[in-house]
Amino acid sequence: MKKILLFVLAVSASITVNSQTADEIITNYFENTGGMENWGKLEGIQMSAKVNQGGMEIPLEITQLKNGNQMTVINFQGLELKQGVFDGEVLWNTNFQTQKAEKSDQESTDNMKLEAKDFPDAFYNYREKGYTVELLGKEDLEGTETFKIKLNKKPMTVDGKEVENSSVYFFDAENFVPIVIHSEIRRGPNKGMTSEIKLSDYQEVDGLYFPFSMIQGIKDGIGQPITMEKIELNPTLDASAFKFPEEITEEGNK
Amino acid sequence: MKKLIILVLGLSMSPFITDAQDKPSIDLKNLFGDLRARHIGPALMSGRINDMEIHPTNNQIIYAGTAGGGVWKSNDAGTTFNPIFDDHSQSIGAVALDPNDPDNVIYVGTGETWTRNSVSYGDGLYKSTDGGSNWKKLGFEKSERIANILVNPKNSNEVYVAVLGALWSDSDERGVFKSSDGGETWNKILYVNEKTGAADMAMDPKDPSILYVSMWEFRRTAWSFSSGGKNSALYKSTDAGETWDKIHNGFPDGQLGRLAIALAPSDSNILYTVIEAEDPKRKGLYRSDDAGASWKQLNNDFGITVRPFYFSRITVDPRNPDVVVKGGLSGSISKDGGKTFKSLGNMHSDIHDIVFDIDDSDRMYAGTDGGVYRSWNGGVTMEIVENLPLSQFYHISVDDAEPYNIYGGLQDNGSWYGPSSSSGGISAGDWNSIGPGDGFRVLKHPTKNIIYSEMQGAQNVWRYDVDNKLVKTIQPLEQVGYEDLRFNWNAPMAISAHQPDRFYMGSQFLHKSEDMGDTWEIISPDLSTNDSTKQQQVDSGGLSMDNSGAENHTTIFTIAESPLDENIIWVGTDDGNVQVTKDGGKNWQNVVSNIQGLPSNTWTYHIEASVHGKGIAYAVFDGHNSGDMHPYAYKTTDFGMTWTNIITDNVIGTSRNIQEDYENENLLFLGTEFGLYITADGGNHWEKFTKNVPPVAVHFIDLQKQTSDLVLGTHGRGIIIIEDISPLREITTEVLKAKLHFFSSKPMKLSDQSGFSGSFGAETQFVGENANKSPQIKYLLPKRHTFGKMSMEIRDSSGKVISKLSPGKSKGINIVNWSGNIKQPKIAKGKTLAFGGFATPRVQAGLYTAVITKGREVYEHTFEIVNDERSGLSLADRNLKHDVITKMYKMTEELAYMVYQIDTFIEAPETKSKLKSKLIELKKTLVITTGDNYVGSAEPELREKLADLFSKIVQSYDKPSNSELEYLSIVENRYLKAKKDFDKISKKIKSRKDIQLKTFGEFTE
Repeated sequence: MKKILLFVLAVSASITVNSQTADEIITNYFENTGGMENWGKLEGIQMSAKVNQGGMEIPLEITQLKNGNQMTVINFQGLELKQGVFDGEVLWNTNFQTQKAEKSDQESTDNMKLEAKDFPDAFYNYREKGYTVELLGKEDLEGTETFKIKLNKKPMTVDGKEVENSSVYFFDAENFVPIVIHSEIRRGPNKGMTSEIKLSDYQEVDGLYFPFSMIQGIKDGIGQPITMEKIELNPTLDASAFKFPEEITEEGNK
Repeated sequence: MKKLIILVLGLSMSPFITDAQDKPSIDLKNLFGDLRARHIGPALMSGRINDMEIHPTNNQIIYAGTAGGGVWKSNDAGTTFNPIFDDHSQSIGAVALDPNDPDNVIYVGTGETWTRNSVSYGDGLYKSTDGGSNWKKLGFEKSERIANILVNPKNSNEVYVAVLGALWSDSDERGVFKSSDGGETWNKILYVNEKTGAADMAMDPKDPSILYVSMWEFRRTAWSFSSGGKNSALYKSTDAGETWDKIHNGFPDGQLGRLAIALAPSDSNILYTVIEAEDPKRKGLYRSDDAGASWKQLNNDFGITVRPFYFSRITVDPRNPDVVVKGGLSGSISKDGGKTFKSLGNMHSDIHDIVFDIDDSDRMYAGTDGGVYRSWNGGVTMEIVENLPLSQFYHISVDDAEPYNIYGGLQDNGSWYGPSSSSGGISAGDWNSIGPGDGFRVLKHPTKNIIYSEMQGAQNVWRYDVDNKLVKTIQPLEQVGYEDLRFNWNAPMAISAHQPDRFYMGSQFLHKSEDMGDTWEIISPDLSTNDSTKQQQVDSGGLSMDNSGAENHTTIFTIAESPLDENIIWVGTDDGNVQVTKDGGKNWQNVVSNIQGLPSNTWTYHIEASVHGKGIAYAVFDGHNSGDMHPYAYKTTDFGMTWTNIITDNVIGTSRNIQEDYENENLLFLGTEFGLYITADGGNHWEKFTKNVPPVAVHFIDLQKQTSDLVLGTHGRGIIIIEDISPLREITTEVLKAKLHFFSSKPMKLSDQSGFSGSFGAETQFVGENANKSPQIKYLLPKRHTFGKMSMEIRDSSGKVISKLSPGKSKGINIVNWSGNIKQPKIAKGKTLAFGGFATPRVQAGLYTAVITKGREVYEHTFEIVNDERSGLSLADRNLKHDVITKMYKMTEELAYMVYQIDTFIEAPETKSKLKSKLIELKKTLVITTGDNYVGSAEPELREKLADLFSKIVQSYDKPSNSELEYLSIVENRYLKAKKDFDKISKKIKSRKDIQLKTFGEFTE
């Protein structure tokens, strides 16, 4: 009798919104933001933003491509300084002192290679990437009903050791878009603390929806807001823009 | 600059029930929004550690379970620690890792186990399966304190928990519990009686079915402590807890007290126990070489036998069974199997736990009353971990300086004061010692630079003249007819809002001085119950006498003179009286019996005399030391004749303090053992405040009047500040209905102050977060904003947009910081950066409007910006400065436009080569065209000189100086000449009209 009762409860629960599976929530997310098919066609994104630090306006341009190439270009006094540039093999930054390109350490580069598959979204075809998802439940996140989904990516390497690479996404239960992302910081002096990204101002760009406002920081700390001024889809860019400008050549070493 | 880069890098990787009174009904749930707390420590003296735990295979990872500040994890071999348990009880008994999965599975048993008078309590057992990111409670809600957790190294599902249990009352939730399913279900496998708990537990790592457990009979009351009895014993099981045998062969006769047990990891036959016994000669360290079959006494030195309830911890070197460390006043180490001991190196006294590094026994970590210490040489020298802000305040107060200071006394760590803000953050060096011993109340004289502080039992009460560095003791002494003064361990003192030199202290009598403690007058009879059965402290301790004064009882604990009438004084006693006088002490009335529902003799912890009416007062009671864990807070409006219960069922943990708001009578703040609660409707609804306030014991709350900052004195996480609670004053039922409500704002000052931080050597120190100095725009949103654009602009009084900001989108209170600056000028492009060009000029004083556009709705709020009068500038000075900066701003942008035109002309194929070389020559004088941003930099040109001077003037608090103005005229002449030269060349470029150029407006956009 008890078993039957439980079964009935389970069935009736499954037809309510509460018992969404993680996959249903993710599917809803992509459908509500433009449709799986359209997301799949996306070749690249270029986001223009201005960050305000103590009154100082810093223009940024962030580009991400389907092949994993990405970069952030900061414009200071007409000079373009590239940060977090990845050409599929090399991760590099412009040194602020010499204004020359320098490679990131190998471990960061290797970890970036793992992230390169995340375009257009970490949840897009997550299974094919070898990721797993887990619905941790429904949670009232400061007055907004959310679904809490844990995304487990392939382990990253920190200081020579493999560590879990996961984030917890809070999807707004009303419209199925992520509004907060929590990730444990795995390296550096803040290791062990939780990073928090708040997303809002979802707006349409050529049929797809993107969050135009982000606040990034440490959980319970004061975050840095970034507002997108423009998002351009499928930008035309020369692949050489991502390429690491090699100074040390094999010839030079001969 | 560096921060910016990190930020950018990070970015690129991311994709109502009311009780029918006339009070409003306001539920603050999910409304706190951006109102968050900042922690300022201090950490220099840290706080009590209960348990240390090391990772079994990775010696970089160390855990500290703290007495009142949660669980902290180090990923760098104890150099720095981060908190990992901030959503749960901060009182920790034990931390344990599953040896089979130590990276992920962590158990935390809450409730500290070194049962001193001021000990806190926990609320159960928790488990994390992801290295501490998420926690699940596994029950034991009534356990109060958990001593050990052990996981079978061969079977993760088999877990043992030693529950010490309730300290202040009988309880059957104690003894040893076992789970066979990873903590989902539990069986009690060893239980003696309601007074006896499991104090220590050990497992044979080679045969996990062999367990050792010490059981301890103990009890505390508010006025005494008893350790020991016939039920204390040491047990052994060889069948994984199925059956237990006492192993007392060689033990002393008679009753036993608290016993520690440790097994040598390198030889399971070797055990050590430390025994609290009736006969002082038979107390001390015992060793067994036959797995507990027989015992031999080795040592009864002071360091081994001292205060068993506080120090019963033995650690054996994992590699050498003869190296034994014992917790104690100084901590002791033996290298000869426990026969002789020497003290550990200098560190904070009271050592509760020691662990050895997994690979190198010279590396040790000790948990003390003053934080965690590391040793690299086997305990000879000890160094403190500098980033554990675990300070345990009993009491705090604030002054009215700018920035204001916070004063307070600490458990075993003296008395201190420090600033609420400091250059570069509030660091260890910002704190000033204001008394040794245990510190309690510290009060600043209302008008003079004099501080009162005290040590336990008012043995010394100090009056410190800060300016002249003069110290004297002023504690009340016995008077004729008033012998045998009884002071609480945490003796109350109070100052007056009416007479600056007035100073009160409480024994069982109320003492008043009108001359800052030089002369004392007793203005009350014995206000306590004077119950002689609660005055036998000389007999306190049980098997080990422990008369530290900490159990002194039947004393006054709180004193409050009405801020509205100096003749109205409230006094609360630790034995549950609430006394009030309306005539300055001539007549007293005990009004506690008018309180309905309060158990008799419940400790009167705090009385708050209201600013909203002479007859209004709040009283908070704490019954935890009779095992009553309910919060109690009451309000009277008629001098205590009648009282209203203002607590709701959702308030968890015993209550110690209440603070009223000075403006809104219905806004109250309550401190409990598990954090801070706030009500905006006079107590009809309480809501726990969790924005960076962990569930830590809040012992005292103060509200700083000028800033409306709420300052919490916590017993385990130092000082926690919630800046400017004024938005809470404005939340009404009407405001809650608005689509967006801007909170009113006082004129906001653009601070001219700055300074030097000198943060050398602070890399691994805790540095407290500074106060916000920016103007802030605050508003309430009824619902989170997710879809569509929501933006914010700041406009000046002419309507011109001077700044674009990213507004918050959360439900509840949103706070947007505005720098009060306009953006930096557009700078000429050179080979390198002109660092002076990053300066952002300040706006002028005046009215500004914040405009929020949310979809089609527009919301506006006008606020005032005022200048900082401390810099002493006149309006004319300010105007001169503004005019000079405006002129330079324009000149900078015009120069930028000139260089842009030059670059465009140079690049244009139409430009003749002769003119090109003239343009190149001119450009070389305008901007740097070679070198880099560091030691390869070139000599400054016009752009750099202009930018540096611009930055110098912008960043100065002062008006431009004569020499700055003179230099400006040189730079300006050079600019004018360049302009002339450029115009001359430019006119010669015949094809000028065919070259596409942006307008000045387009260029500077």
